[in-house]
Amino acid sequence: MPSATKSHDTLETVVAQNVSKSFGSTKALDNVSIVGFAGAVHAITGENGAGKSTFMKIFAGVEKPDAGQISIHGRQVRFASVRDALNHGVSTVFQEFTLLPNLTIAENIYLGREPMSHGLLSRRTMLGRARDILERVGADVRPDWLAGRLTLGEQQLIEIAKGISADASVFFFDEPSAALNKTEVDRLGKLIAELRAQGKTIFYISHRLEEIFRFCDTVTVLKDGKHVATVPRESLDEDRLVTLMVGRPMQDLFPPREPRFGDVALDVRSLIPQEGAQEVRLQLRRGEILGLAGLEGQGQREILRSLVGAIRPQKSDIIKISRDGTASRLVPEAGVVSCLSMGIGFIPEDRKTEGLYMDLSIYENVALGRLRGLSLIRLAPGVIKLVSEIMERLHLQARSVRQPVASLSGGNQQKVMLGRWFAAGVDTLLVEQPTRGVDIGAKAEIYKQLREFTASGGAVLMISNEITEIIGLCDRIIVVRHGRLVGEVTGNSATEELLMEYALKETVSNDTLHAQS
Amino acid sequence: MRGFTVKLYSRSGLSLNTLALPVVLIIVLTTTARGFASWENLSNLSSQIAALVIVSLGQMMVALVAGLDLSVGSVISLVTCVIATEGGPLMLTVPLSLAIGVAVGLVNGWGVAFLGIHPIVMTLSSMTFLQGATFVWQSIPGGHVPAILSEIGAGQTMEVPHSLLWSALCAVALAVVLNRSRFGLHLFAVGGNSVSARLNGVAARRITVSAYVVCSVLAVIAGLYLAARIASGDPKIGASFGIDSVTAIALGGTQLSGGIGGVASAVIGALSLGLISNGMNLLGVSPFLQSAAKGVLLVVVICAQRRKSVGL
Amino acid sequence: MQAYESTFNSIEGGFRRLLVAVWDLSPAYYGTALLLIAAFIFRPMLLSEAFFWVILRQAAPLGMVVLGQSMVMRCLSIDLSIGGTVLAVNYIASGPYLSAYPGYLIVLACLGLGSIIGAINGALITRFRGSAVIITLAMTIISIGVVVAFARYTPPGDVPSLIRYFGSGRFGRIPIAPVIWIGFVIPAALALRRTVFGHYLDAVGSNPNAAAFSGIPHLRVIFLTHVFSGLTAAIGGLLLAGFVGTGSTDAGIGQDMILNSIAAVILGGVTFGGGRGRILGPAVGAFMLTFVFNFLTSFGFEESGKLMMQGLIIAVAAMIDGLKKR
Repeated sequence: MPSATKSHDTLETVVAQNVSKSFGSTKALDNVSIVGFAGAVHAITGENGAGKSTFMKIFAGVEKPDAGQISIHGRQVRFASVRDALNHGVSTVFQEFTLLPNLTIAENIYLGREPMSHGLLSRRTMLGRARDILERVGADVRPDWLAGRLTLGEQQLIEIAKGISADASVFFFDEPSAALNKTEVDRLGKLIAELRAQGKTIFYISHRLEEIFRFCDTVTVLKDGKHVATVPRESLDEDRLVTLMVGRPMQDLFPPREPRFGDVALDVRSLIPQEGAQEVRLQLRRGEILGLAGLEGQGQREILRSLVGAIRPQKSDIIKISRDGTASRLVPEAGVVSCLSMGIGFIPEDRKTEGLYMDLSIYENVALGRLRGLSLIRLAPGVIKLVSEIMERLHLQARSVRQPVASLSGGNQQKVMLGRWFAAGVDTLLVEQPTRGVDIGAKAEIYKQLREFTASGGAVLMISNEITEIIGLCDRIIVVRHGRLVGEVTGNSATEELLMEYALKETVSNDTLHAQS
Repeated sequence: MRGFTVKLYSRSGLSLNTLALPVVLIIVLTTTARGFASWENLSNLSSQIAALVIVSLGQMMVALVAGLDLSVGSVISLVTCVIATEGGPLMLTVPLSLAIGVAVGLVNGWGVAFLGIHPIVMTLSSMTFLQGATFVWQSIPGGHVPAILSEIGAGQTMEVPHSLLWSALCAVALAVVLNRSRFGLHLFAVGGNSVSARLNGVAARRITVSAYVVCSVLAVIAGLYLAARIASGDPKIGASFGIDSVTAIALGGTQLSGGIGGVASAVIGALSLGLISNGMNLLGVSPFLQSAAKGVLLVVVICAQRRKSVGL
Repeated sequence: MQAYESTFNSIEGGFRRLLVAVWDLSPAYYGTALLLIAAFIFRPMLLSEAFFWVILRQAAPLGMVVLGQSMVMRCLSIDLSIGGTVLAVNYIASGPYLSAYPGYLIVLACLGLGSIIGAINGALITRFRGSAVIITLAMTIISIGVVVAFARYTPPGDVPSLIRYFGSGRFGRIPIAPVIWIGFVIPAALALRRTVFGHYLDAVGSNPNAAAFSGIPHLRVIFLTHVFSGLTAAIGGLLLAGFVGTGSTDAGIGQDMILNSIAAVILGGVTFGGGRGRILGPAVGAFMLTFVFNFLTSFGFEESGKLMMQGLIIAVAAMIDGLKKR
């Protein structure tokens, strides 16, 4: 049980007891108990997938716990919506903003709790109060501006202002500084200190070690949905914190790595994924599985998507060399369809909305791969044999090829996506989250497939939030931080500590580096 | 974390183009079309545009939630016939008309918001149904409109034509609702991003239904006005109002994808469209070529609006 | 004992599969069945072979239009321009401008016009991402406006004999028009099931995002369906002109076509972007609608009743579909 001592009264305001939550076969939270105190800032940290966001979502009313209970000020509660939570004094500021672009800042702040007078909106009150809050928060914007003209950083401040204006007694912040510059972060810190002095309970969910040590009194570490430790900040230092976050037994899921690699398959001489992003340079070789690692939202997705044209890059200079040696320029600006016609396959992270045709059958989903590049009036080649072969190869369990994809398990659905690109005969795969929402058994099979693909001359560039996956599967790992490639490690010498250090810290200590070799 | 793709500075839909258009039109018409600047023509213009203005206000409300209501034309026709019923006292026919409007709006809104039926399918079907119902009620123009209504509709008070008052009243009322009421704010929210709106506690579906009800009721009011003006019932008079109101609001800058628009946009757009029609009349363009020209105008204006999705 | 059980189970399973298949059948099929039963009860004289051919011949123009509309709606778009195309084709076929030319050239000109209108629709929809509803609706208004304006000056006359042959001619007992219709429907159904284009159409309708990410040229697919829809609208217009024999400037024909085509497609099980129906369902829907309206006329329904019926049918079909999805 947590045993932190507070500077003010030790009034328990927020209690989560034995909370568990699963999504399908993934256990996001496993019997977690956390206590929050008035006038204290409580950090909740951990790796990707540790359960931090789910914890917050339960308090926000977005998710409901499968087991356990939460209570606010001693009363057990179960929130039905974000508004419901706010009415009980719990304010949640997410990473995904819920600002309406066509509403003013003041309107956004008060949406759902508008001040009224004589049955009409009291705009003067709204503007006046909003102005005050914006000053407190340090946002250099006017309350009558539309939210749609704000920068990302400004939007985040408005989200925070929403919570403050609701005069909540409990605040949850999810990566609040993600889009803020240094001055804004300082302001945020002052704000949090003010709230703390007012006796509010603050939960600060973040990866950022500097901020955790700057703002927070207590630190809770979660790992794989389980509670690891809750300790006062004074008793921690960076190294100890990182150690608490990592260090799990590596599962024996991964096929052995190949020692040899072929020629360059994808030569990214220059790539600027978006306006204002860093320039990226890398090379992907035949037979290699290259992983882009790092914390969530550090730019890996943008790099991958701009390679394939799903995001229009600011600038690109990319050469693709196919198995037989022919080199051709890859032009992502021409769009996804043109890139995919060059022998590259793309597996998006959200298979339901971006990858699969949920109401079509397995056969149709896979066969579409084979049809790629064919003339429209051609008779579609009957590919039952090919599809059955691929299904067998992937160990896809299904009653028949005519089954709609929506009825398959997550693992099988992922296999269908792989199957489609195998049917298309691509030689390079760009994969986002290869095993998201996939059970252990299917994970092992997918890893095997990816390895076999590269063994026969394919090349794979993947991003994944699961650090064990990256370490276990990839031949080479590049860590991405703020859109920059900050470190490169071979798969064999990679450890969680090393990757987390690259991902979290400004500089990686020499000790850690030496310890690896 | 993803931000807004395009910066938005105003949600009224007004821009230099939309504001300049009526001005340019007035200038062009004053110089080229004979008889445009006469008091008679302008007064005529006002009464011609009034119905369009009122209907466009309603269409704008529905467009704010990314919807479309093509049934307004049939509502107008039906209302004129109901009002012009021989021996029908206004005490009965006016409430009946309003009730019809509310009912139509409820059905349209429920189909779109709760059953997920696409607005075009829903309102096309209600439009056709009401068209048939109108012909059952009265198959040819005729009937008798009580004198009081005629006076309220077509007369003038102190040189100000009543048509102007009708339009102005509706515009002001709607402006208050849209800009000063919680309903109006929620309407914009649903149009901006219905998911975010819901997360913030907005009852998105109910708001959508209400938008369709307001639209139909405004169509009823336009129908009352027209009944007064033509002093009879005409089962075909409303035919072009559906597409005309959509053209009008698009001309005024209202985005059909939702979230952007307003009273000014609807009124100015209706004014522009009215001027164009008036001009074409004065120039002697055949009414059929006029509707073709309006069709071209609609295509141009729609293609100028920005959209993410392809198709519907 | 086991043998009994297994056969019993397979019968039960087969029965259940049959029930599911019937429930999955688009409303057009059981709607037609219900209609036939109602006709048997109330108007048995309608159930004659001669009447059957009459219905088929009358349904042919609608059927052609429905063919294109079902493809367009399947890829999440809509074509409301068919009304204008039908009227335009009617005028060109019967008008004075081309009457000097041989029939087959007139036919080609009409097909060309239909394709061009479809191409313009497709281009505006895919390139400028304009709403398909508005653009095709505007196109219909433009077409109707231009046609009626021209018709005022030079009214249409008779339809050339070739087209009249297509529309109202017979081959023995069998009218030509439905033969043409079915002659398009069957290859189209096969093509959609077998060709690359057909598979792409299913994909685009099922998930446009995924289509792009699978490397499918989804914009081209949508464009082509619109061109095809314009073409089928032109053919439908020709069949209609041939059926009536003389030109008409009644814009109501256009509205009728638009509404019925949407109704037939929804009844046929095609919803925006998918559904179980493809080509055959909507074709049956076209037949069913024509039957319904003839049936109602035999009861004394007039234009007004017909309109109310049209509105109701579309609304009910859409509501059933909406409820099913919930």
